[in-house]
Amino acid sequence: MRALALLLGAFFTLTAWAELPAELPADLEWITNSEDPLFASPLAKRGGTLRMSVQSFPLTLRRVGPDSNGSFAGFLRPNQMSLVVYHPETRRPIPSLASHWAFGPNGRTIFYRIDADARWSDGVAVSGADFEFTVEFMRSKHVVAPWYSNYYTDVVTDVKAYGHKVIGVEGATAKPRDEMLFEYGIGVVPKHFHVLNERWVRDTNWKVEPNTGPYQISEVRKGKYIVFERKKDWWASERRYYRHRFNPDRIRVKVIRDINISYQHFMKGDLDSFGLVLPRFWHEKAKGENYEKGYINRYWFYNEAVQPSAGLFLNEDSPKLADRNVRYALAHALNFDKVINTVLRGDYSRMHTFNEGFGEYDNTTIRQRPFDLDKSRDHLAASGWVERGPDGILVKDGQRLSIRITYGAPQHTERLVILREEAKKAGIELELQLLDSASSFKQMQEKKHEVAWMAWGSQGMSPRYWQFWHSDNAHKPQTNNLMNHDDPAMDAMIDEYRAATDKARRIELAHALEQMIFDSGSMIASTKVPYTRSAAWRWMKLPDELGTRTSGSLFNPFELSSGIYSSGGLFWIDLDEKKRVRDARDDGDAFPALLVLNEQYKR
Amino acid sequence: MIKLNPLTIKQLKRFRSIKRGYYSAVSLTLLLVLSVAAELLVNNRALMVNFEGKLFFPTYGAFLPGTTFGLGYDYETNYRELAQRIHEQAGTDDWVVMPIVPYSAFENDLREYEYPPYPPSVETRHFLGTDTTGRDVLARLVYGFRIAISFSLLLLACNYLIGVTIGCAMGFWGGAFDLFFQRLIEIWSNVPFLYVIMIIASIVVPNFWTLVLVMVIFGWMGMTWYMRTSTYKEKTREYVLAARALGASSARTIFSHILPNTISVIVTFIPFSIATGITSLTALDYLGFGLPPPTPSWGELLSQGTENLEYPWIVASVVVAMGAVLLMVTYIGEAIREAFDPKQFTYYE
Repeated sequence: MRALALLLGAFFTLTAWAELPAELPADLEWITNSEDPLFASPLAKRGGTLRMSVQSFPLTLRRVGPDSNGSFAGFLRPNQMSLVVYHPETRRPIPSLASHWAFGPNGRTIFYRIDADARWSDGVAVSGADFEFTVEFMRSKHVVAPWYSNYYTDVVTDVKAYGHKVIGVEGATAKPRDEMLFEYGIGVVPKHFHVLNERWVRDTNWKVEPNTGPYQISEVRKGKYIVFERKKDWWASERRYYRHRFNPDRIRVKVIRDINISYQHFMKGDLDSFGLVLPRFWHEKAKGENYEKGYINRYWFYNEAVQPSAGLFLNEDSPKLADRNVRYALAHALNFDKVINTVLRGDYSRMHTFNEGFGEYDNTTIRQRPFDLDKSRDHLAASGWVERGPDGILVKDGQRLSIRITYGAPQHTERLVILREEAKKAGIELELQLLDSASSFKQMQEKKHEVAWMAWGSQGMSPRYWQFWHSDNAHKPQTNNLMNHDDPAMDAMIDEYRAATDKARRIELAHALEQMIFDSGSMIASTKVPYTRSAAWRWMKLPDELGTRTSGSLFNPFELSSGIYSSGGLFWIDLDEKKRVRDARDDGDAFPALLVLNEQYKR
Repeated sequence: MIKLNPLTIKQLKRFRSIKRGYYSAVSLTLLLVLSVAAELLVNNRALMVNFEGKLFFPTYGAFLPGTTFGLGYDYETNYRELAQRIHEQAGTDDWVVMPIVPYSAFENDLREYEYPPYPPSVETRHFLGTDTTGRDVLARLVYGFRIAISFSLLLLACNYLIGVTIGCAMGFWGGAFDLFFQRLIEIWSNVPFLYVIMIIASIVVPNFWTLVLVMVIFGWMGMTWYMRTSTYKEKTREYVLAARALGASSARTIFSHILPNTISVIVTFIPFSIATGITSLTALDYLGFGLPPPTPSWGELLSQGTENLEYPWIVASVVVAMGAVLLMVTYIGEAIREAFDPKQFTYYE
């Protein structure tokens, strides 16, 4: 995705365009959003300490620069608020650091009005100058942040302050409005805090940078733990979408290097919650007295988060798979139901389309070809694969119907061996080629694979097609069109999709494109995990619905838990309940055991 | 042809008298022979089927589609189901004889909504249970043993052929030839062979033969040193000098005189080399750099077992099997060393 964005940017820097206007245009239509439903629980109580764990101590407390992209960035970056975030239910933009926004006439400029009360944690007001400084900062060679440097040069081309509280942002290309808010929603850096010189990286390694979000670091014990404290007078506390959220007063993040040991800490009551997405943890480990006596509750929450595009990517340039009948037959020979209901313990679901989790963009009418040996045989017979060799594998002109599957995740072997045994029944041999993950990806990028078993992580507001399906990227190495799919009709549609700025038309095109992908048979979608699962002590309280449509996790204390939707910080700690649970544990008393399953968003 | 001299015969007799080693050798040989015929003992194909008055022997040869036995599919017959069906039909003369363990090392015996691995059970004939994808642990052990032991024997043969030849030549000719190979071997031994295998395995999928090849390329050096020293030693003995004085050629001196007298060195090392072969293949499989899935292998079972300690039958089976084989090999090695110990039969003036 990033590569694509950069490529695009590089292309457009060659063309000339108008700069941002010197004066703020007078006829701007300022937009905000205060109509969408509330999603935090009014029952929430403020207070308490949330105890969490991380697997390793961060290498730095900087947000950008060398070594800053580790897992701890997930604690630092969400506390630097975005200009605009997205409503976790309606997926529409809602105000955050900016109270209003307006679109310029050329389709690639946005103006933001910074919230009048917005302040840094040291009390300094957030101003337009901070945003102008951000561009200088990110482009600076002292900061050593190549990706950001490119982004603030080639994707976002200009930022200008109009007084203290209004800024204008200009992007490289015109986009639909929702997309533009996401794509050109720049971050902000406190100008008064940073001194840009060659010592910047070293000097700021362990300095706590002022931020705009609800929590700020208050204590650092190197190698051991980091404590965040909620700001006593956080400026956004009473904003519509932030009321009753971010409830714990303190968050202690302790380093526990092994996941099994942190589970032991959780069982002792030293951690408040624990993620149980892995089937082994959920089915084998989440047992015992703490659960039976109701001290720990379990939550299984289905969501509509964006799913990785996971599946088999069939190389149309390989001789056997060039034949669409073979591709269809292969799809009918893969018994995913058996995989899901056995080794995956029924926990995963079948994925049906190339992209899923983009709301209205999803084409929900498509159903992947089911395991059906008769249909598989019919398709193969149509292409002359009828005769079986001595080992039961089909043979045509002395060639066996053996298809090589390249993959890089050893933990997927158990899924593939079942598919392999079942495919034998259809007379297709699947040859499993397990490589180291980097080498397998290299082989796929060089298009030397027959079938690639992998998943593309995706993000953003709407699906992407050009990099995967456009003929611009077919028949050449180092592109993401692993299918080498090359179809002029699809190309035209993708070009239109990329250029379209009307959302309704884009949705229509996305649906049509998913149908074309399905008809090509070149991508067989595999499985998805459309939920999050956690266990938490009884004193950890959640809203009645547990989470929102787009919640990636239930006990994330910060705003953005996955991607761009403002879905975190909804839970609270009930201190009275905590005392009751502690007393009950001492006396051996029990509460009713609780397992909450929420299938509201299950599809 | 190397003739057995009276000394060797004596040594073999002594070996037989060391009970622990001797019985280990017998059982290991038996296991080897059985594993060659593993298809008759552990297999999902029936040994014999009598269907409508006709006899079938499906074990070896081409697959028989389900339609052969009146089943409605054209893929390979599921003989367990066939046996079940025939059993349920009253009044037919048909019968099916299945092997003791009626599973292959590859098929996933999965039941809907019951999650693998399944524990050991005599009723389902999974005597050691199944692994995490429902494959029979015993079947994978047996076929894994066959692969490991044949890998090991092949490796041994290649390594010793090269090692003994070069080592012997170094000792026999000495001089520049010796010097050159000494340095070459020193350099070559310092290549970290495990890393080489890992690099190779990450680029191409290794198969049985490439693994043997790579292991031979980095494993032949071990024997050369021992052969070189003992050849040096034997070369200066009176019987060799006498043979040469009588005009024996180099080949005759080496093959008829020196080799038979250094055989004890070779024989002593064989069991340990076999053990090394098995363990290195297992280690590579365990680390994921060995034979590609779904090849049955002890290393793969071991890694599955250690990841799933909640299902102790997986790790227990493979640890016991591996322990037993290595123990037997060690006993054999110990007995051979004792039997062939030259100090018992020679003395120096």
